[in-house]
Amino acid sequence: MSAILDIRNLSIELATDNGPVRVLDRFNLQLAEGEIHTLVGESGSGKSLLAKAILGFINPRWKITADRLWWRHYDLLALNASQRRIVTGRDMAMIFQDPSTYLDPNDKVGAQLRESIPVGDLSGIYLKRRADRQTRAERLLHRVGIKDTDDVMERYPHELSEGLAQKISIAMAIAHNPKLLIADEPTTAMEPNTRGQIYRLLAKLSGSQGMSILMITQDLTAVIPESQRISLIYCGQLMETGPTEEVMQKPYHPYTDAMLSMSLFNQETAPKTRLPTLSGAIPTLQHMPIGCRLGPRCPYARSACIHEPGLTKRGQVEFACFFPLREEDDHE
Amino acid sequence: MIRYSLRRLTLLLVTLWLLTVFLFALNYFFPGDALTNMTGVRSADALHYQRLVAERNFDGSIFAQYLAFLSHFMTGDWGQSLTTQRDVFNELLPLFGATLELSLLAMILALVIGAPLGLYAAGQQRGTMDRVIMGVSLSAYSIPVFWLAQLFILFFAVKLGWTPISGQINPLFDIEVRSGAIIADILLSDSSYKSAALADAINHLWLPVIVLAIMPATMLMRITRNSMLDVLQQNFIRAARARGLSEARILLRHALPNAMQPVVRQLGLMFSVLMSNIIVTEVIFNWPGIGGWLVKSIYERDYPVMQGGLFAIAAIILLVNVAVELFHAWRYPQVRKELYAEH
Repeated sequence: MSAILDIRNLSIELATDNGPVRVLDRFNLQLAEGEIHTLVGESGSGKSLLAKAILGFINPRWKITADRLWWRHYDLLALNASQRRIVTGRDMAMIFQDPSTYLDPNDKVGAQLRESIPVGDLSGIYLKRRADRQTRAERLLHRVGIKDTDDVMERYPHELSEGLAQKISIAMAIAHNPKLLIADEPTTAMEPNTRGQIYRLLAKLSGSQGMSILMITQDLTAVIPESQRISLIYCGQLMETGPTEEVMQKPYHPYTDAMLSMSLFNQETAPKTRLPTLSGAIPTLQHMPIGCRLGPRCPYARSACIHEPGLTKRGQVEFACFFPLREEDDHE
Repeated sequence: MIRYSLRRLTLLLVTLWLLTVFLFALNYFFPGDALTNMTGVRSADALHYQRLVAERNFDGSIFAQYLAFLSHFMTGDWGQSLTTQRDVFNELLPLFGATLELSLLAMILALVIGAPLGLYAAGQQRGTMDRVIMGVSLSAYSIPVFWLAQLFILFFAVKLGWTPISGQINPLFDIEVRSGAIIADILLSDSSYKSAALADAINHLWLPVIVLAIMPATMLMRITRNSMLDVLQQNFIRAARARGLSEARILLRHALPNAMQPVVRQLGLMFSVLMSNIIVTEVIFNWPGIGGWLVKSIYERDYPVMQGGLFAIAAIILLVNVAVELFHAWRYPQVRKELYAEH
């Protein structure tokens, strides 16, 4: 597998009043061309920080260290801010939760869409160029499944539904044909129907354009079938990563297992019983447990868990646990 | 937008109407004879008085009296001054022009100084210049205008002698008063010393304009800075950066229009502050405007003049506020959604 995005041991430390806090702890991620990778983690697990670190939206107070943070043949950490902006602006794009806040409220949709088309892609001089811009903008809207382009382009962002706004931000994101699209909880607070549309659209873009997608989500129900690989992250530590099917069917890590049994698609719970949960709550930033951060909440934890488990590789799957739920032989 | 405009205009009319009710009621609360207070005619002649009573329906009910007052008021018969016996409405028009000229120039100066400095301070956030600009604006904002005006006169006019102490223009130029706005009057006049008169008028103008502009300019600086900083943190600015748009384009095309939105909304309020300052300033600079006229009428217990002055100032503040609101709703379509509560 040749990874176009290669992250090894990426750590992010935030300076707080109580000293530095490691919000992302030696995180690993490899993403191949045209692959959809789903990153699952609860809020505060550092998944959005990871996306920001990849895109270079970096707060100067963060300390970012990594053995490798490579995008194709660029070492992102070695580039200075403006070089990095050129690389990420050309190759990457991101879509977000609350898409309408990512559109300028005082500007018509059409104008913003036309603006996001890179000048280099246009041909001809002034008038022809404007016409070209317009047809390209229309084509972008067609690609994200909006048929009534004239109407939509004349609207202001407050006149759009969230689903429509997300489609438009996808259209703006793919205007310069990025190689990597990071989707940060793109469908939170959307109706299931719209949610399905957005997911199908993303899967189609990945399939037909060879665009890699890093899909960030909160729960396993949002993992789409087209996603080839999946990673689970808890409090900034990678728990388990591997092919989606395998991880979802036969998890090694207790956290994956817990997430699966907590998901609402698990219909085996009897009526009027308590839903399965992990005991305890997500620790606050100042009180991260040492060793495996899941330790205090993990039903299988033992004294060894105060040391941090490294990644163990079993076939295609990697996980960070001393006491996996099953041994390799089950897998055979 | 049409519905909103109609609603604003209706509100304007209703407020103006309430104002006439208030003015009408004042005549009865002021000491003396209500009819004399209203018309300004101090007549010893019984026959003349009887004619006024008939004209103003003073033998009828209070409603009939009000209706008569309103019809006179609407046709521009605002009574005559108790002291000078001159017609209030005709005397008011050129004074109104002089006040408008002063306030418009001060407002423009405030915009030209305040908004760019606020933007500059936002760009230098927490830098030295930001602190300097914000510190100076806070101190300038805290200085009362009557004191500042006298200090300026003392320094620029008396000590340095750069400018005349008071007045609108040297009376030697003998410019015919048409609109009251001195620059317009000079340009309209057939005087053979136009350019000299213009220079003299500007020499008289700049000091009161600066005094008046300081308060709105400091307000503008602070609002512009804060709203610009606020906008720069918004998601759509970050998204525009991520898309690789140029910084100039982000600032001019996306940040600035959005940052000016709260500024535009505050312009009406700033104008009200300016109008209350202008009254004091006109008195100090002996400016032949409505403010000085109103203050003089209060000293002289000249009730018809008081009413006219009050109505003119209140009406202009209302008009400007409604105009600003309409412009705001027209320019920033997303606020219309909030107005109709269509969430």
